[in-house]
Amino acid sequence: MQKNSFKQTMKRVPPVAYMLVIIIVIFSFMDSHYLSFSNFRNVLIQSTPLMILAFGQTCIVLTQGTDLSLGAQVSFVTVFIVFLAQRGIILEAAMLIAVCCTMLIGAVNGLIVAKGNIPPFIATYGMQNIVNSISLLLTAGSSVYFSSFTYRIVTETTILFIPLMVWVAVAVFVIVWVVLRKTKFGTNIYGLGGNREALALAGISPVKCLIKTYAFAGMIAGIAGIITLCRVESGQPIVANGWEFQAVAATLLGGTSLREGKGGVTGTIFGVLLIQIIKNGLNVVGVQSIYQNAIIGSIVLAAIIIDAVVRIRAKE
Amino acid sequence: MAETILKARHITKLFPGMKALDDVDFDLQEGEVHILVGENGAGKSTLAKVILGAYKAEEGEVTFDNEVVKFNGTKEALAKGIVAVYQEFTLVPHISVAQNIFLNREYRTKLGLIDHKRMEREAQRLMESLNCEYIDVKSHVKTLSVAEQQMVEIAKALSFKPRVMVFDEPTATLSEREVDSLFAQIHRLKKEGIGIVYVSHRMQEFPLIGDRITILRDGVKIKTVDIDACSNEELVNMMVGRDVSQVYVRTQNEHTGTALRTQNLCDYKGKVKNVSISVRRGEIVGIAGLVGAGRTETAELLYGIEPVKSGDVFINEKNVLPKCPQNAVKLGIGLVSEDRKLQGLALDESIALNTVAVSLKKVFPNFFISNKKINEIALDYKKRLRIATTSVNKACKYLSGGNQQKVVLAKWLSFNPDILIFDEPTRGIDVAAKMEIYGLMDRLASEGKAIIMISSELPEVIGMSDRIYIMHEGEIVDEIRRGSEEFNSESIGARMMLGTGGTEDAEK
Repeated sequence: MQKNSFKQTMKRVPPVAYMLVIIIVIFSFMDSHYLSFSNFRNVLIQSTPLMILAFGQTCIVLTQGTDLSLGAQVSFVTVFIVFLAQRGIILEAAMLIAVCCTMLIGAVNGLIVAKGNIPPFIATYGMQNIVNSISLLLTAGSSVYFSSFTYRIVTETTILFIPLMVWVAVAVFVIVWVVLRKTKFGTNIYGLGGNREALALAGISPVKCLIKTYAFAGMIAGIAGIITLCRVESGQPIVANGWEFQAVAATLLGGTSLREGKGGVTGTIFGVLLIQIIKNGLNVVGVQSIYQNAIIGSIVLAAIIIDAVVRIRAKE
Repeated sequence: MAETILKARHITKLFPGMKALDDVDFDLQEGEVHILVGENGAGKSTLAKVILGAYKAEEGEVTFDNEVVKFNGTKEALAKGIVAVYQEFTLVPHISVAQNIFLNREYRTKLGLIDHKRMEREAQRLMESLNCEYIDVKSHVKTLSVAEQQMVEIAKALSFKPRVMVFDEPTATLSEREVDSLFAQIHRLKKEGIGIVYVSHRMQEFPLIGDRITILRDGVKIKTVDIDACSNEELVNMMVGRDVSQVYVRTQNEHTGTALRTQNLCDYKGKVKNVSISVRRGEIVGIAGLVGAGRTETAELLYGIEPVKSGDVFINEKNVLPKCPQNAVKLGIGLVSEDRKLQGLALDESIALNTVAVSLKKVFPNFFISNKKINEIALDYKKRLRIATTSVNKACKYLSGGNQQKVVLAKWLSFNPDILIFDEPTRGIDVAAKMEIYGLMDRLASEGKAIIMISSELPEVIGMSDRIYIMHEGEIVDEIRRGSEEFNSESIGARMMLGTGGTEDAEK
């Protein structure tokens, strides 16, 4: 009986967690300084914005979609907050306004995807370009600055040796986890990916649900944007370009399926950490950055191919 | 006399281009199983959906508890206790059984969060009332078997405290044992006074569960009879509407040489086991069997859609193996598939383009194509097959089911393959179009084509085939020739169900 339950728990550990352990072991053999608290803390700090963004992307992937505008939304938030603050609006209020904006962007994404029945990656790709343009227009293409003490509060206040920003990511994780597991909204997200007809027959509007989900992801992108702003202490119109894909990769690595509303936000943590640890480790052991992208790309592809092979095998 | 719960009077439902229901009456009593029967497209599912509030009838009224009701969607019907157990499962795969049962009616804690414990308790109680306590209500639906999922559907329906339950082809995907336990459940529900509408076309089931039968044909109600007062033959005649021999025309013609032969064909999924069949030029060979018997899977092997695990295929006595559909087409095999929307037609494209889709290379051996010539060919087939359309440049999606199927046929006729596989060729099309397709199949056979016909409608297989193979759980269990004593729906039906062969065929 005991053995059985141990096996069951082992089964629930996503495969990516094993990969994570293996890679940490490899790096620690390659460099004796690798396994240190400060390096681990570094990884956590570096991964925080992407981590938050990936939690939002996970919700979208659960609905069988991808939101390619999430990275652009992050960049936009950094720019827009500075833009507002420069014009006399209190920084914290500007942050709130920016998050409302990304929620709105998300809602529009959801509306187009749901009402127009358009493949999400096309609709959100369009939105990505629009949002990118707005960011560039607001800044005339360069970085914009507004100095404030708030940034440092977020990045440097520590609780239990860990900076506040990491705790923000923890809070976002808890919120998304509770939403997915303990609310009607979350149940409906699984329904959107699993069986839309079932939702409709139960009297739930899939259109409204999709709009809510994209707006929710937009809100999370807004939070990721605020954290990014605090880290770079400036508005950068292209700072988060490409993050949306890394977030998708992390989600898929974490075991969430693009097909049928399967998975969850816990695996995504491991997915993000894996990507970040590889990046960090490659830096520590001194691999040139031009090779790094190729290595990360290969690992993502390998993970997805393994997943596909396992699924096909299971079918047969 | 039991109380009448539900009454439908003079129901007429129109769909673009056809009358799905025409002045149909129907009533249901407490504790009764009322079977709705008819051919595909007869209107049984449409009537069920009107009762469920999913469709609004153009004319007529529905009375529930002696009160006229006008449902605006299924939700209002649900509120009255009229629930459906759907044919295709309407469950969300990766949430728990309990969450599925209470989808959109979740119990919540004071904080507004889902109260999983309470939902699981209630779900467990429902499962116990169905004697299905072995189903773990915490597990994801995806991990359950098809039959277990159906029990979840029933539990979900029961959670609405129903007075009327509608089952739409519930046994289509179940194994025999699972069917038995489903029927046990239906008997139990019946005893509790729930009125049950049971939509089906499996005649073998009727005496096991039904009380009364209403026969529909082409949207018209033919008759309502007590289950004991009607023989299978009478039922078939009422469903088909005329003597079966008039619908199916077969010219006697010579069968020359074996066009296609398989030996011990197996697939990887275990749905096709050691299938050895043959078809001669000029012959129509039927494959009969229940849903899931492996008929479509066999066709998919022959057409190269699924890989062959072992066994041989001989075309004109040459050992070949269709590796993919393109390969099969080259070898002279055509497939008129079960699902013309998915596999048979490019629905958004014109009739003309679909007509030449396969034969394009044959018609235009050079690089360039000519629209004029395509149109000429299409017009020719439009005339020959009597495709009802104003123009061959219309997109196929605007055609009725019968006319779409004719376009599929035109596509193959213009390519002129030697072997044609018909997989449920008349599904969802009206009787008139069916008869035309039968006529066409007959003509093709006379021209020397070898035809394999797969169909769930026994009368159709019996009416058209020269020889019938009976499949059961992936194996050919018997072969019956036209003219033999066993060539009738009773003995073929029994073998389809039980999988036992009758007298061994002498020639082999």
